[in-house]
Amino acid sequence: MFHWRKGSILLLAAALAALTGCSGKSGGNGAPAETGSSPQGAKESAAGGAADTSKFVKISYLVLGDKPTNGQFEKVLAKVNAIIKQKINAELEWKWIEWADWQTKYNLALASGEPYDLITIGTDWLDTWGNAQRGAFMNLDDLLPKYAPETWKSIPQEDWAQSRYNGKIVLIPENDYTQWVNHGFFYRGDWAKEAGITEPIKDWEGIGKYLQYIKDNKKGVIPWDAGSGTQTFGGFVQSYTDELELPISTGFLPVFTAKSYDEKFTVVSPIYEDVFLKYATMMKDWADRGFWREDALNNKNNNRDELMAGLSGLDQHHTQTFSGLRVEMDKKQPGSDLQMFPFSRTRGTNLMELSITHGGTSVGAHSKNPERALMAYDLIRNDEEIYRLINYGIEGVQYEIKDGKRTQPAGFDSTRDGYYSDFWGGRVDKFEIPSDTTWDQIGTLYAEYDKIKKPYVYGQFVFDKTPVEAELTSISQVTGELGPAIVLGKAGDPAKAVEEFRNKLKQAGYDKVLAELQKQMDAYKAQIGG
Amino acid sequence: MEDALESRSVRTDLSGLVVKLVGYVFIGLFALCCTLPFLLVLGTSFTSESAIKLHGFNFWPREFSTFAYKIVFENPSLIVGSYLVTMGITAVGTAVGLFLIAMTGYALQRPDFQYRNGISFFIYFTTLFSGGLVPFYLLITQYLSLKDNYLAVLLPGLLSPFLIIMMKSFVRSIPHAITESAKIDGAGDFTIFIRLILPTTTPALATIGLFIALGYWNEWYNAMLFLSPDMKYRPLQLFLYNVVTKADFIRNSAAASNVPLQDVPLESMKMATAVIATGPVILFYPFVQRYFIKGITVGAVKG
Repeated sequence: MFHWRKGSILLLAAALAALTGCSGKSGGNGAPAETGSSPQGAKESAAGGAADTSKFVKISYLVLGDKPTNGQFEKVLAKVNAIIKQKINAELEWKWIEWADWQTKYNLALASGEPYDLITIGTDWLDTWGNAQRGAFMNLDDLLPKYAPETWKSIPQEDWAQSRYNGKIVLIPENDYTQWVNHGFFYRGDWAKEAGITEPIKDWEGIGKYLQYIKDNKKGVIPWDAGSGTQTFGGFVQSYTDELELPISTGFLPVFTAKSYDEKFTVVSPIYEDVFLKYATMMKDWADRGFWREDALNNKNNNRDELMAGLSGLDQHHTQTFSGLRVEMDKKQPGSDLQMFPFSRTRGTNLMELSITHGGTSVGAHSKNPERALMAYDLIRNDEEIYRLINYGIEGVQYEIKDGKRTQPAGFDSTRDGYYSDFWGGRVDKFEIPSDTTWDQIGTLYAEYDKIKKPYVYGQFVFDKTPVEAELTSISQVTGELGPAIVLGKAGDPAKAVEEFRNKLKQAGYDKVLAELQKQMDAYKAQIGG
Repeated sequence: MEDALESRSVRTDLSGLVVKLVGYVFIGLFALCCTLPFLLVLGTSFTSESAIKLHGFNFWPREFSTFAYKIVFENPSLIVGSYLVTMGITAVGTAVGLFLIAMTGYALQRPDFQYRNGISFFIYFTTLFSGGLVPFYLLITQYLSLKDNYLAVLLPGLLSPFLIIMMKSFVRSIPHAITESAKIDGAGDFTIFIRLILPTTTPALATIGLFIALGYWNEWYNAMLFLSPDMKYRPLQLFLYNVVTKADFIRNSAAASNVPLQDVPLESMKMATAVIATGPVILFYPFVQRYFIKGITVGAVKG
């Protein structure tokens, strides 16, 4: 029995390898019929898994997002299912968690014991460890090598190590997909050039100089139409210290950080360091020089719209946003040459990758067909044709490939033809086709990041808030109350404002939270053997 | 009450006039406070998004636009379906709920009903303590298997402790002698309830009915929890809520996910959905309003 089974799995693996190899040859121009036209491989896999796949099953996949209403999704899924049915005698079924109150619904769906097969996870935004603790996910250690061999092989052991809860693998990480969500300022290259800034801006003083030029020379333009809710302190800390952001929310401003990458388990606070005063002073100066509106604190304008209308000169967000915005800007403000100054550039040391478990997939604890679920997942992630169908739709309808880039076909109508599947559970770079809505030179930024990036180290750290719940709430109140005015330089004398902020934070229970956080961080260090 | 005011005004003309004047001014101001926000909502819903950005909200649209309504009504069959679903749930829920609440309220105040205090406590207890969201969710989805079933929205709203207590105190104002005399005449309990109690409690029924109907009309949370997007038509409020969150989401994530940014009139859309949702209620309200006031005062005084 054992031998037979092992044999069948080898056969299956071989069949899959053959399939992926086959479609791989077609490269960027993958013709839709490619994989299906490999009858031999399909037959083999069907025969190989015969014992497992004799019964037809439906595999449900829990995803986050609003269900598309134009019928395109159903069409694409039907195509996907035709292939999957042939290969493993199963069909996929998307179960959508809509954005309305998604946190409640997602957690309820996991708590209810409903038999979901595959589940989208995200350790930093979907409370995955908490759900793992409540037993929502199946232990995958034994199943993965057998039923998702491609995936199992392609993910290195150190990444699997980050996918374990209590020593058991509970999720498949999205470890092979480049996403940069590090923040920075976006500025207009053309205006910077006029201002005599020829080198890419690499510090906040440079941004100050740029904004001053706009203030002096561009009539009707607000250098930066910053609105209420603007928060740049985290970026300033990233620019001028080696301190790392920790996955703990303290409301408006980040209060706790790790000292540096070398001392990543030592908790400190930038609030009580010179960097906070320096920041407050600079923001006061910027406000006094009129870089943003007098009433910026109540400003509800959308700065990004203003930027695209040529009425604002600066924006602040992360790299992914930039890569799309740059293309938009090139259309709306030709020649604007939008550039990004990532906060990490200043010192060139402080940049962590996104957690590889920001996205991923788990198998539900109550799944009735975990084997087939994993086989289906293995196909989504490793079969180029299925992957592209699920992520991009049907070639010729949703997209076509021109010069190696994904573009909308002529006559594309987004209401009628628009497509998305919200598959965030295991995208891989090797099958991604660059889109013409992302900047084609984003690679230069990526190359810059690659030189200094460090792996994310807090993927498995979950701060247990219960011992300091009340203090954390007070801290959030202080940051929410005093923070916005400091950020926009409207808090009067910076030294005094900083002093008041620090005092109030102490009263709110800063020391107690710090001690608790350090205690848990020490435990985490011991746990992962760092 | 009006008579009393009249007779006094005959005696002291001036003070009566002052009272009236103050009364009218006060009520007028209050009415203004209620209508102005709605007019603002109405005006804004017809304003173009760019004008909202530049000038803020206005009573009179600076730049007239029906774009927000166009987006909400993008798929007319969906919104009509949602309306019908909500109306159906409201109609059935109000009829059944009213009947059940009236019966419960009546039974609970009958002095010859031995366990009325125990059961009253049992009902009252649920207003203070509840199992919480997760058990409620499990009950509906696992034990009753009502996921994707309109009953999941209908059932939880049928009986409300607050309304039962209100009904109870109202029925108490009807002398028990009526029940007893009917009993002597040979009427059964159900006949007494249908033939004698219901007709004498119309003001209370109108009030409570309106409460229930409003509850069902505005209901979206249970619908959100239990009716998945696999259902084509879902209650109106949920539909509108989704339209807004979707727009919100598109706006916030468009650039991040490299979706070409579309001009979504978010602010005016929110207002448009509010108008669509409140419209029918505003039309309906005047017809039951007179019962409403009578019922609520009677219930309060005699309770």
